[in-house]
Amino acid sequence: MGKVKVTGLKKSYGSNDVLKGIDMEVQEGEVVCVIGPSGSGKSTFLRCLNLLEEITDGQVLVDDRDLTSKESDINKIRENIGMVFQHFNLFPHMTVLKNITFAPIELKKATPAEAEKQALVLLERVGLADKANAFPSSLSGGQKQRVAIARALAMNPDIMLFDEPTSALDPEMVGEVLGVMQDLASEGMTMIIVTHEMGFAREVGNRVVFMDGGYIVEQGSPEEVFGNPKHERTISFLEKVL
Amino acid sequence: MRIQKKITAFLVLMIFFASFAGSLIPSAHAAEAKKTYVIGTDTTFAPFEFQDANGDFVGIDMDLIKAIAADQGFEVRIQSLGFNAALQALQSGNVDGVIAGMSITDERKQTFDFSDPYFEAGPMMGVAANNDTIKSYEDLRGKRVAVKTGTEGATFADSIKDKYGFTIATFDDSTQLVDEVKAGGSVAYFEDYPVLAFGIAQGNGMKTVTEKEPGGSYGFAVNKGQNQELLQMFNKGLANLKANGEYDAIQAKYLSADGTAVVGDKLSKWDVIWTSMPAFIKGMGLTIYYTIVSLFFAFILGLIFGSMKVSHNKVLRGISTVFVDIFRGIPLLLLVSFVYFAIPQAFGFTMQVWLAAIIALSLNAGAYVTEIIRGGIQSIDKGQMEAARSLGVPYQTAMRKIILPQAIKVMVPSFINQMVITLKDTSIMSVIGLVELMQSGKLVIARTYDTFTVYLVMAIMYLIVITILTKIADRLERRVSRG
Repeated sequence: MGKVKVTGLKKSYGSNDVLKGIDMEVQEGEVVCVIGPSGSGKSTFLRCLNLLEEITDGQVLVDDRDLTSKESDINKIRENIGMVFQHFNLFPHMTVLKNITFAPIELKKATPAEAEKQALVLLERVGLADKANAFPSSLSGGQKQRVAIARALAMNPDIMLFDEPTSALDPEMVGEVLGVMQDLASEGMTMIIVTHEMGFAREVGNRVVFMDGGYIVEQGSPEEVFGNPKHERTISFLEKVL
Repeated sequence: MRIQKKITAFLVLMIFFASFAGSLIPSAHAAEAKKTYVIGTDTTFAPFEFQDANGDFVGIDMDLIKAIAADQGFEVRIQSLGFNAALQALQSGNVDGVIAGMSITDERKQTFDFSDPYFEAGPMMGVAANNDTIKSYEDLRGKRVAVKTGTEGATFADSIKDKYGFTIATFDDSTQLVDEVKAGGSVAYFEDYPVLAFGIAQGNGMKTVTEKEPGGSYGFAVNKGQNQELLQMFNKGLANLKANGEYDAIQAKYLSADGTAVVGDKLSKWDVIWTSMPAFIKGMGLTIYYTIVSLFFAFILGLIFGSMKVSHNKVLRGISTVFVDIFRGIPLLLLVSFVYFAIPQAFGFTMQVWLAAIIALSLNAGAYVTEIIRGGIQSIDKGQMEAARSLGVPYQTAMRKIILPQAIKVMVPSFINQMVITLKDTSIMSVIGLVELMQSGKLVIARTYDTFTVYLVMAIMYLIVITILTKIADRLERRVSRG
């Protein structure tokens, strides 16, 4: 049974259909990279997986729990799904340490002492141990995104969602963030990544999903999709970005 | 965390102030043994009612009602409302009786029951002391004259205006008549003669050129068919005072035997300021107090309706929008008139002046605070809420711990602005007779006729207090934004 199972997922804003029926299954430990032109619905798709977007139709199961079912506590399910945003969304009124410990303490996952200990371990892991007491405004973009990853990891999630995590970064900072993500992947984290970093998708992804016009057009191993794309739209998209 | 502590401390301070000030508010239970009647009166109708330098209400009416109360064994609490406001308060049952140099007329008898007449008055014309052109009613042709609503002077002026071809400007306040003539808007004013004579004797810069007209008499009024025992006691007491000479003594205190006013000492500008300072400072204190209490409740209203306004529930958003539209859309002056006069009258209950003022100010400021809070919350990037929710944090917690602390920084300048506005708006409450700085000033003008000095001092006091409060708020703002 897959970690995430999506069936017939549709999403519209009024008369604007953004997702027109998505089916997908992600296995435990799998790293899925979602690529596609802007407006293809890939970010919306990702945001449906933790219900930041309301689902118009279809079903999303995470660990066999139906997201839209009345019995599911969405807050409980979200604790298990970390999310990293394009614009970091760090809490500017809190120090780096507080950003990371906020949710575990607030949701009683850990005592303040435990949460701080864990936060320092996480900061060590993303290479920012010396920034614990800094405020987000004093960090570079790359540093902010690494803190954001540490913040998401602090809830000990099984699944991590990345929504264009490097798109807002200066080029020289992309590497440090991708490095952290690569480490995470090698540790066996289940990851779904919306990205424009084709090199990263090829190297780290177990599977590449190409979306366009609200559908999954093509998917497969990086070798298949990048090396031998079958669909015309995939070919023309890859020609433009590679 | 620090912001939360500050808010908690602020609330504690508010509650402390509220309970402290509660003891300042005049209590209706002052005398338990004797029955207390609330008597409405005019603010400025010297020598019948005015505030002396100590801030006490004095004058023929005041001395008379107090003497009658003592004679008949009841207590009175005076509420200085202004003539029109006093009559409305009587009709709505907010006061039990009105003594305000009110002429007994057939028209008024439809609505009120009058006592035996206690003073024979009549209208008289006044002109500026340096005016040599107006010597008789004939000279008014084509000119404008000032009158006060509801007075015999107004009725008399209206009855001769066609014959002599002048127009009439109507005011609410006796001192405004003098100011109007001084400013040149009108060439003359008609006023009940004791009031006119008293003002001239106080050196208000007016003189008389014509004789007093025959007129009606003043009576004490209760609502028709109500408080008859009070009316009976007034009549009995009046008869007793006339019999024992106390009535004459009261009159002699304010008017000499020939009907002209007893001349008081003419006060210099500095004396006016000096003797009025205690009244001004008390008025300022009350202004600040009403501002703080009203803002406290406005804040609570704003938090409730503001969070409704940003919620996802359409019904809650709708309710909040209606609240804001109503109380932002109704002028404060009209709102307080509704709360104090109209609603109690329509539903048959009585309302305290201070309560009506606080309700009106709170609702008005509450509507604006709602918008400030909504704007503050919506100014925060929605990614903040998404980041918190994606971690599994519930909406309420995310709002409280993530959104509000950031939004408050955005809101602080607008809150300071609202505080300044509300502080100034308390002056509007003087129309229902609430004693605050504006009303204190009006009362001093009624006694001294020194409009310019008093308004200047009041303007300076408002400026000083608002500057101090703004400076304090600025420092608070810097603290909040730092941390």
